[in-house]
Amino acid sequence: MKVPVDWLRDYVPLEMPLDELAHRLAVTSCEVERVSRRGIPWENGNHDLFVVGHVLSAEKHPNADRLQLCKVDVGETEPAQIVCGAWNFGAGATVAVARPGATMPDGLVLERRKLRGEVSEGMILSERELELSQDHDGIMVLAAPGAADAPRPGTPLAELFALSEDILEVEVTGNRPDLLSVYGIAREVAALYGLPLAPPPGVAPSLSGDEKIAIDIQDAVGCPRYIGRVFRDVKVGPSPAWLKARVLGAGMRPISNIVDITNYVMVAFGSPLHAFDLDRLAEQRIVVRRAGAGEKMEILGGVEYTFDARDLLICDGAGPVAIAGIKGGEATGVTETTTNVLLEAANFEPHELLATSERLRLRTDGSNRWEKGVDPHAAGRAATLATQLIVELAGARWTGDNDVHQGLPGREVIALRPARTDAIIGVVTPPAQQTALLTSLGFDVAEGALTGPDFPGGAGQPTLSVTVPTWRARDIAREIDVVEEIARFQLDALPATLPARRELFGTLTEAQRLRRRVEDVLVGAGLAEAYTGTLTGHDPDPRALRLPDPLGGDQEVMRTRLLNGLVESAERNINVGTAGVALFEIARVYLPAPADGDLPDERWHVAGIVEGGYFRAKAVVELLLSAFRADWAFEPAADLGDLGQGARLRGRGAAADGGPAGGGPVGGTVSLLPAATLDGAWGTFEIDLPLLFAAVPGHTTYEDVVTFPSVKNDIAVVVDEGVASGDLLAAVREAGGPELGEAAVFDVYRGGQVSQGAKSVAISLSFRSPERTLADEDAAVHRARILKTLAERFGATLRG
Amino acid sequence: MVPLAPVNWDAYQADGVAALAAATDADAVEEARVRFLGRKAALPLALREVRDRETGMLLNTVRKAIEEAAAEAELRLAAAVAGRGLDFDPTEPASLHGGALPAGSLHPITQTRREIEDVFLGLGYEVIDGREVETTRYNFDALNFPDWHPARSPLASLFFDRDRLLRTETSPSQIRTMETRKPPIYMVSHGRVYRRDATDATHYPVFHQIEGLAIDRGLTLADLKGTLLHLMRALFGPQREVRFRTHYFPFTEPSMEPDVSCFLCDGKGCRVCKHSGWIEMGGSGMVDPKLFEFVGYDPEEYTGFAFGLGIERIVQLRHGVPDIRLLWHNDLRVLRQF
Repeated sequence: MKVPVDWLRDYVPLEMPLDELAHRLAVTSCEVERVSRRGIPWENGNHDLFVVGHVLSAEKHPNADRLQLCKVDVGETEPAQIVCGAWNFGAGATVAVARPGATMPDGLVLERRKLRGEVSEGMILSERELELSQDHDGIMVLAAPGAADAPRPGTPLAELFALSEDILEVEVTGNRPDLLSVYGIAREVAALYGLPLAPPPGVAPSLSGDEKIAIDIQDAVGCPRYIGRVFRDVKVGPSPAWLKARVLGAGMRPISNIVDITNYVMVAFGSPLHAFDLDRLAEQRIVVRRAGAGEKMEILGGVEYTFDARDLLICDGAGPVAIAGIKGGEATGVTETTTNVLLEAANFEPHELLATSERLRLRTDGSNRWEKGVDPHAAGRAATLATQLIVELAGARWTGDNDVHQGLPGREVIALRPARTDAIIGVVTPPAQQTALLTSLGFDVAEGALTGPDFPGGAGQPTLSVTVPTWRARDIAREIDVVEEIARFQLDALPATLPARRELFGTLTEAQRLRRRVEDVLVGAGLAEAYTGTLTGHDPDPRALRLPDPLGGDQEVMRTRLLNGLVESAERNINVGTAGVALFEIARVYLPAPADGDLPDERWHVAGIVEGGYFRAKAVVELLLSAFRADWAFEPAADLGDLGQGARLRGRGAAADGGPAGGGPVGGTVSLLPAATLDGAWGTFEIDLPLLFAAVPGHTTYEDVVTFPSVKNDIAVVVDEGVASGDLLAAVREAGGPELGEAAVFDVYRGGQVSQGAKSVAISLSFRSPERTLADEDAAVHRARILKTLAERFGATLRG
Repeated sequence: MVPLAPVNWDAYQADGVAALAAATDADAVEEARVRFLGRKAALPLALREVRDRETGMLLNTVRKAIEEAAAEAELRLAAAVAGRGLDFDPTEPASLHGGALPAGSLHPITQTRREIEDVFLGLGYEVIDGREVETTRYNFDALNFPDWHPARSPLASLFFDRDRLLRTETSPSQIRTMETRKPPIYMVSHGRVYRRDATDATHYPVFHQIEGLAIDRGLTLADLKGTLLHLMRALFGPQREVRFRTHYFPFTEPSMEPDVSCFLCDGKGCRVCKHSGWIEMGGSGMVDPKLFEFVGYDPEEYTGFAFGLGIERIVQLRHGVPDIRLLWHNDLRVLRQF
């Protein structure tokens, strides 16, 4: 909201620098986005060069058909000669004049100069040149010829209306609709600086008639209050300059005196108003009701809206004339020909109104206030000020009044323990200061009773009895809400302390520690960590969770695997010519729950993609497994779907589930990505981290590998092509006995003396005992046992 | 005793240093060392004869300079020999590539996340892993979001159905934690949160939040300020200050937005802080008693504070990353900078 500072000064005598005011408001009340300025620069007495002029003569310029040559009395002994391009005035008119040397809002400096051979001493101004409106059709006529109240020539224009204004642009949180008004901001400023706050503006003129138009509120929840006031003999016309300046300063466009008044009062009090042309209201009555399904109405600007039964409408005897609180209808609005006006000052329930505004995608200055909850009491003050202005500025007679409501809400009384305030904030605010602060914000504060025996925080504590002002009723209902009122004025005084701890904890969980290690190992292996999107366009699992109304087709499915995002990232890197791409990501996947409607199983995965093919990826995974001492096996997988071919990873747990290597569930994959996916050879991996972490030995106990040396012994066996080296190794470990230390395949050989369809697998073994130095004979025994097992299981023969 | 011929010690030192610098093999070094420092060289002879302190000090300076030149020459030659062993050009040991070990990198979001985690581990907080697909009960109801709150609208949040959605903040994990234990609680929770935001330089529909919660006897707003000050100084430097601005959140009362004094201009005003001297960091406040009711804590016995920060925002500020989308593109030209 834009708050013209001059307007603010009507209600509170502020003199502090605006930057400081902006800072303090931002801390205690609402965000101040900027302090801006509208209108004529005021520096160096520039405003003195803008004066009232009286046109003595106006004739066609001798050398130009489209220009007038005017003599204008500007309050000096000699009239000024001014060349002017507008024709909407003549001799006798009172106009606004800028003298030579004046600086205009756009920075242009006027000079005395010749126009088509005639000297022009200044400029007769249009409203647009004064930044009072966009109107550039003609110059601004301050008074018609012969007007009795015409200002005297030479009068500074600044005495008639604000030539320039400083404007605070504030953004208000949803709980403070009272700050969407100049008066509400003024109240905060008064409380901040201990300044007096003027009483609410508006003095009702006397009512000259007793027309009571019928108001039928059929939904008192949606519309708790409706004031309808009748005005006759209304002269619709342009607003006076001061009002235009105010409306412009508040960021709206001046339209006509009646519309400008409703906008002005809305900004003054935060309670929106609407003016109907009374003669266009069928049966001259008002019905407030919910819409029928499919009911339609055309609003200002000729746009048609269709409603459903949740939308609240203002209707006349024939049908809808306004969307309650949001927008008025085209047919019943005030126009230049309007002479009789019905002024609506109502109150609307915020939440349904917000829903309607969202459904219709129609947000207005009015809906923005209603949706936050406007004080029902404010409607009365707004009606009073608007009535005064309509009578004064549009020459109208106020002839009828009707205020329909079922009782306005009373004021909540809250018991505040001043000591509780201090206990929450952490600084002491003496009770007298708490009382003074609350009073300046419109609370009524009285000495309260001591807390009773049932009070949860203990009996016998002194309290203040705090009565909440009507404009804060929605926000303040509990003691803690009152504490906040004190707290927000103490924020700059708040010290920085730390909690005094009586119990200490604070370590990462094992899973968190291990995740960090996964990150570090992979970074050490030369991979860069990536972050890819949770939501994808496609996922291999057809049951993957889907958003019914996604942000886009490519952000529809909750991924059940990470790799797709990494493949896309790799592709982007290839496209910009980056070499040596190696990426990993640690993030969650979302495995659909067995029952629809349950929450998915969110599992941490790690995935990676590396340029250089399957074995690069496998090397990374092997590094990871060995860093974690995880005893996992690779089992061949000819087809991993879209990931191509490679291997699955499986733990060597006790519970065999039929896999070739036995062991637990599949914990991941390593694959050679099909060449069609990305240019070049790419290896990928994806591992389920909870399964991996379950395979990490929890606790390491020292094993004596130092005292007694180990005996190394290599074997090479010939087996059929079909026997997997991994399976051979597993059997070696099984048969090796407790004294077998390491066992690893170090060579696979085909051809030569090895017959067709067979291969030779060389395995290095080392044997060690914690109790003695093993002799070669000991190793030979173990070796023989291993060879026997391999022969039995795989038909392996020892290679010569 | 033979009287010593007068020696120009400056020239002696210069000659010695030059000879050692010019030596290209170990023999040359040894020859120069013997000539200038050896038992029969002029310098040791003169040193033996010294009787006054002034001369002694002068000669010692000369000796030291030549000894240093000798050590340097030996080091230089040793490096050249080692270099030949490692198969690289010994003439450019500093500028040539050591080998083909690739460098990996932690994503800047992870780096900042870890720093924040470490700050709070140091303050004795736990790190809680929340979940991302949440129920409206944990994401809104338990956090005191009123029925009409705009965040409950499908226009603002991403729903799977009436009851399930992608969490809009990490706070549901606070409720889940409070439900399962009694105070004191000191926890941070971080991770992805989701909003139906239009993408621009500072908004992305997915972002990372880190949220803290402390509940204990006697916690105050001042404790919240001190905690955030500690964090901001860890992230943005020891000179930083924190201020609060009043704000509104459903789950805290009073609610504040913390600002940190601008680390670029030191609060004087610059482009980064939009000339205000302060940078907005997120949301915070004292835990609303309604939340305590929900989980069965006594608000008279315990008070608490909570805060939430966007990790991407901190990364963008600290590293000058102009566009949040760069953090999701995984462009190695970008990632390798961190």
